[in-house]
Amino acid sequence: MPRTYQPGDTFTHVRECDRYRPIYYAGASGDYNPIHIDPEAGSAAGLNGNILQGLCTLGWVVEAIAGFVEDPGRVRRVKARFSRPVRPEDTITFQGRVTAVQDGRLTAEVSATNQRGEDVLKGAVVEAFIG
Amino acid sequence: MALDKQFIGREYGPYRYTLGEEKMREFTLAVGGAKPGAGTPGEPPAHVSPLLYDEQAAKAGPHGGLIAFPSFAVVFAIRPFSAAIADPALNINMQMLVHGEQDLEFLDVMRPGDVMTTTGRIADLYERARMGFVIVTSESRNQHGTLVVKGTWSAIIRG
Repeated sequence: MPRTYQPGDTFTHVRECDRYRPIYYAGASGDYNPIHIDPEAGSAAGLNGNILQGLCTLGWVVEAIAGFVEDPGRVRRVKARFSRPVRPEDTITFQGRVTAVQDGRLTAEVSATNQRGEDVLKGAVVEAFIG
Repeated sequence: MALDKQFIGREYGPYRYTLGEEKMREFTLAVGGAKPGAGTPGEPPAHVSPLLYDEQAAKAGPHGGLIAFPSFAVVFAIRPFSAAIADPALNINMQMLVHGEQDLEFLDVMRPGDVMTTTGRIADLYERARMGFVIVTSESRNQHGTLVVKGTWSAIIRG
């Protein structure tokens, strides 16, 4: 029997940005902007050190919804505003809540907060095919 | 940050990109939290779907073979955005640029060997609160002409 989804259902995903994650992500994605891989360059840009690529954080949102619908191939959309940098040693908690289930498609809002409870994303929305 | 609205509508591409299986796996595992080493993308953490890296599991799965992590698309679909923000005509100071907002739509799965063609354009340029905003839209089609990825990319230029 396939899993069913309803508005109000929730899911959680937790990821740690280990010290070298911005460098690993740079290697895999090609985003070598110095503010991501060089703490001195980040500080020179007024960021108080290097920061994780926003698109890696967005990838973690994709992981969260992919895990919830049990198939990354079902992820249909991801959208977010990067409201606060993620830094090495930060732990980010993603909490999703289904807002709509219609025509074989699920929509959910996702919050993303660091270990101090500060939002690192705003207005994050995901969509996935279900059923 | 002065941005000249005359560049709204400026187009970038087409850019061609062929998806490679190892590159797809490397991206999945880099996002997923693996520790890469020489000659290996690292051991897959338990939360990462085997449909993304394990050929046999993927073959038996719902897509009949390996698929790309959805936002692997940024590896190639970002090209018009990166071309726009580096466009000498816009004269943007890259050190003051941050990624503001991102919207990605995935209309089909991507597989090893797929050949994606991406085009993009500057959809908007504006200033707000003394910051500059650059909005680029992109479309990526596979070798069958199917629209697979749509992106809206926004950069903020501080100060």
